[in-house]
Amino acid sequence: MTGSVVTGTPTQTVQAFLDAFAARDVDAAMAVVDPLVSVTVHPLDVHAHGAEALRTVLADLLRGFPDLLITVSRVITTGDVVTALLTAEGTQAASYAGAINTEKHLDIEQAWRFATDGGLITDVAVYWCQAQLYRRLAVKRYDEISIA
Amino acid sequence: MTETTSTKQTRTADSAAAVVTEFFDCYRAHDVDRMTGLFSINAGFRYVPVEMWGKQRVLRGEGTVGTVGKPLWAGLIASFPDLSNTVHTVLSNDDGDVVVQADIKGTQQGAWGLITPAGKHYSEPHLFIFHVGPDLLIDSITGYWNDAGISKQLGHNEVD
Repeated sequence: MTGSVVTGTPTQTVQAFLDAFAARDVDAAMAVVDPLVSVTVHPLDVHAHGAEALRTVLADLLRGFPDLLITVSRVITTGDVVTALLTAEGTQAASYAGAINTEKHLDIEQAWRFATDGGLITDVAVYWCQAQLYRRLAVKRYDEISIA
Repeated sequence: MTETTSTKQTRTADSAAAVVTEFFDCYRAHDVDRMTGLFSINAGFRYVPVEMWGKQRVLRGEGTVGTVGKPLWAGLIASFPDLSNTVHTVLSNDDGDVVVQADIKGTQQGAWGLITPAGKHYSEPHLFIFHVGPDLLIDSITGYWNDAGISKQLGHNEVD
């Protein structure tokens, strides 16, 4: 993490993360993340601590869907917690979450809930429906994900 | 002119959160009428993961609380007679936005969608976004969760 982060409001901090994510710039997104961030991505069963865990989530998404398009529809600020409602769209170009690459396009609505402190994201919890994701990637069974 | 004392509560972050907390209390008590009574007449309803793909169209869990939400809640309670919820966080602001993290859980005793009952239990984290109007009635609810998690816990491995 760089030491040049200017402390902003919770909304500004999260907006900086979302802008960088939308620009597919993982390093810039991670610049506003606390090194000890708590990371929960429910559909991927990720429950971890540390910035590397979040970096991996973002990098995996971008590797699986290099043309990823993030469209934020709402940002809701409730004190130090900011919730962003967004749609992730992209064309699969590599295996993702166990699903082999079938070059299918997907669009998934997601909710990202960020807790912030001192201009950094200290906790992120992510919600999307993996059934919708697998349906769009032509996966037929949860116990045979890699067999499309 | 007769002066009357108004007892009408104004909307604040706290009062909006209280309405939503009451919603989950009613849900836990399986009182669907009281749940829906907390909403305005044409309140919007949107459960993002709910979609059924047919050959020519996709049905989505979207509409109003009265036409989509109420039957869906009643159906859930019928299929999962011990349906319950654990609310972890309720955060709100003075604009009436309320964001809730909650686990919804239950044991399947009846058919739910394409999932046949096998007596299995599920518990799945949900995120709900509510908006409470100035009249302290909820005018929209949106829900996010991982439906695959529920299917797998119930022993249903097909991606429908």
